[in-house]
Amino acid sequence: MKGRRGRLRLALAACAVYALLLSLSLHARSAQPRGEQATDVGRVVSARVDRTVTVRSADDARRAVLEAAAEGRKVSIAGTRHSMGGQTFYEGAVVLDLKRYDRILAVDEQARTVTAQAGATWADIQEAVNPLGLSVRVMQSQNLFTIGGSLSANIHGRDPSEGPLIAAVRSIRMLLADGSIVTASREERPELFRAAIGGFGVLGVILEATLELTADEVYESRTSLLSYREFPQRFEQAARSPDTGLLIARLSTAPEHFLERMYMTEFRRTGLPLASADRELKQDRAVELTRFVFGLQRKHDWGKSLSWSLQERLFRSEQGGLVTRNNAMRPESDFLDYRDAQHSDLLQEYFVPLSRYEAFVDGLRALLREEPLNVVNITVRYMPQNGESALSYTASEDRAALVLLINEKRSAARLERLERLTQRMIGLAQSLGGTYYLTYQPYATLEQFRRSYPGWTELAAAKRRYDPGSLFWNDWYGKYGSEEGGGRR
Amino acid sequence: MKPMKRSALRWVMLSQNAMTLGSGIVFPFYLIQIKEIGGGFAEYGIAYGLFTICSAFLNGWFGRSSDRFGRTPLLLIGSWGMAGLFLLFPLATSIAQVYALQIAMGAFGAMQRTCEKALLADLTDGEPGRGEKIGRYQTGIALFSGIAVIAGGFLIDYFTLDLMFYAGSALLLASGLLLLRVDERGEEGQAG
Ligand SMILES: Cc1cc2nc3c(=O)[nH]c(=O)nc-3n(C[C@H](O)[C@H](O)[C@H](O)COP(=O)(O)OP(=O)(O)OC[C@H]3O[C@@H](n4cnc5c(N)ncnc54)[C@H](O)[C@@H]3O)c2cc1C
Repeated sequence: MKGRRGRLRLALAACAVYALLLSLSLHARSAQPRGEQATDVGRVVSARVDRTVTVRSADDARRAVLEAAAEGRKVSIAGTRHSMGGQTFYEGAVVLDLKRYDRILAVDEQARTVTAQAGATWADIQEAVNPLGLSVRVMQSQNLFTIGGSLSANIHGRDPSEGPLIAAVRSIRMLLADGSIVTASREERPELFRAAIGGFGVLGVILEATLELTADEVYESRTSLLSYREFPQRFEQAARSPDTGLLIARLSTAPEHFLERMYMTEFRRTGLPLASADRELKQDRAVELTRFVFGLQRKHDWGKSLSWSLQERLFRSEQGGLVTRNNAMRPESDFLDYRDAQHSDLLQEYFVPLSRYEAFVDGLRALLREEPLNVVNITVRYMPQNGESALSYTASEDRAALVLLINEKRSAARLERLERLTQRMIGLAQSLGGTYYLTYQPYATLEQFRRSYPGWTELAAAKRRYDPGSLFWNDWYGKYGSEEGGGRR
Repeated sequence: MKPMKRSALRWVMLSQNAMTLGSGIVFPFYLIQIKEIGGGFAEYGIAYGLFTICSAFLNGWFGRSSDRFGRTPLLLIGSWGMAGLFLLFPLATSIAQVYALQIAMGAFGAMQRTCEKALLADLTDGEPGRGEKIGRYQTGIALFSGIAVIAGGFLIDYFTLDLMFYAGSALLLASGLLLLRVDERGEEGQAG
């Protein structure tokens, strides 16, 4: 470099070249598709959405919906994104995130109801009603989900006398595609009520819901070990008993008794006053330890055996323990805080008539011996008949609900295989008069979907009526719900 | 001669501080960038490894070149080259593109690291209190890399990753401009 002059010239030249490159880069970037990547806890499906709007008021939601409509964009709706089948996003859509719309609006002690905004979680509701000696009627095994997401999946839980969530809903308030806000209940707009609950966010935004509550009670837990053959009868007996408050069973995935041994935990009503058990809502206990054992279970067969024998020991020591309903309905641990770069914990659920339970488990075992999957654990719950929702999964009779937790690598080859196996498992359930849960991976074929959910035509009809422009949309609906079966965008 | 060297050292330090700041504010977010386009920890490891390994092979060569052509020209190419590459990161849409960018980054990084050390040695050669000077220099660098990572952590909440790359790029350009103030006579004896 020669002298001041030369250096000044060099600096100017560098700046000029840089300015040129910078503007080229900015220009190229602006030509790229805009948006952000959206996915769910399963992380097997994702899409590039236009933007995510945080909803804090009904006005926020209405504004976002009308803006999206004016821009010609679709609207997807998201709670805590624990659905796993693309129900919360769509390519180029505006996603409404409801998690911050989460106030508990009213608890009516007399009528035993709670009214909450859709982004509130079961944990929020439990905190509001526990001091009043009240409890949620139907919820998942964990309490971290939003009310809106739970309604739209029409979820179910551990109380064998309670149907899916729709059974405990008084009414919902919904924001529709035209910006109007309406009420839906069994009396008012019953077709909207039936279609929106279990309708995965394609009819409009659920803003608020009024849900029925029940009394908090003291339960005594009893766990018994049994074989899968004797299980259906014992399970049905326990489920039908008026003494049973909650009921949950597990099927062993340990290699030495793979899908053979089971245990069943009954939470029996004691009639004792609430004060006789710890009424304070408990926090997760021993999370790190459970997480560690769960990690072993996920990775190794011996981990599955270890976990099974540890649980046996735990149940023996807890036999006869007293617990309130509210505490029994809190999670033992949030295993889902699992953020492996390559693997996902994936759930699947199959509903089979109790009379065909044994045949289903035999079929499943044969299938998994032939094509092994890393099934970490299997829980079994009791689902009473209920056909209120258009997309009901127990419309015709009581069913056993088997949840498989599968740990799988998210590589294209592994997921293709999982898709194929899932279709076989759905086929197995269907051949025994059963069905599958829509919330999880979108692997069912269109034929399988239509066979299991003939009420899809009812949802489609409600959609024509309440959202004729197909503003509310998501990946899952694009694949299964639309009348052309994935054709229209 | 002495004051010349002292002021040269000061400009080198300023320039390299800007460099540290510019590359440091995006560094923690490479992983996000890689995730955005569908990679995971393994891809992150590869990307980072490519950068280091590529520079490993080129360090010796650039060191020799700097003996021939002088340190500052190579340092200049290093920082302006990286400034240019940073403009490409927001445009990357596949892992392969990120890998390619990382290899190129490795080359410019090698230029920068080797020449920075050599220049530092030149400018402190035969000086009293050499260790102290280098210590002071390193203090500045360490301070700025800390500031960069902290600032990056705060800024990423408000700006997109792309914007961070543009900001980083501008700082790298500035780093080169500051380098132009390094008085050649200060280094000439050793470099030429
Ligand atoms: C670990 C785990 C355990 C689970 N356990 C159970 C269980 O025990 N029983 C069970 O039945 N299910 C269970 N599920 C499934 C879960 O209940 C559903 O996926 C539920 O939808 C999750 O709620 P969310 O808030 O995450 O909803 P999201 O996944 O965010 O959304 C689910 C659907 O609801 C729609 N939606 C969300 N909010 C609104 C709104 N305000 N208005 C309109 N539509 C809305 C979305 O568009 C989407 O279609 C479990 C899932 C996981 C991952």
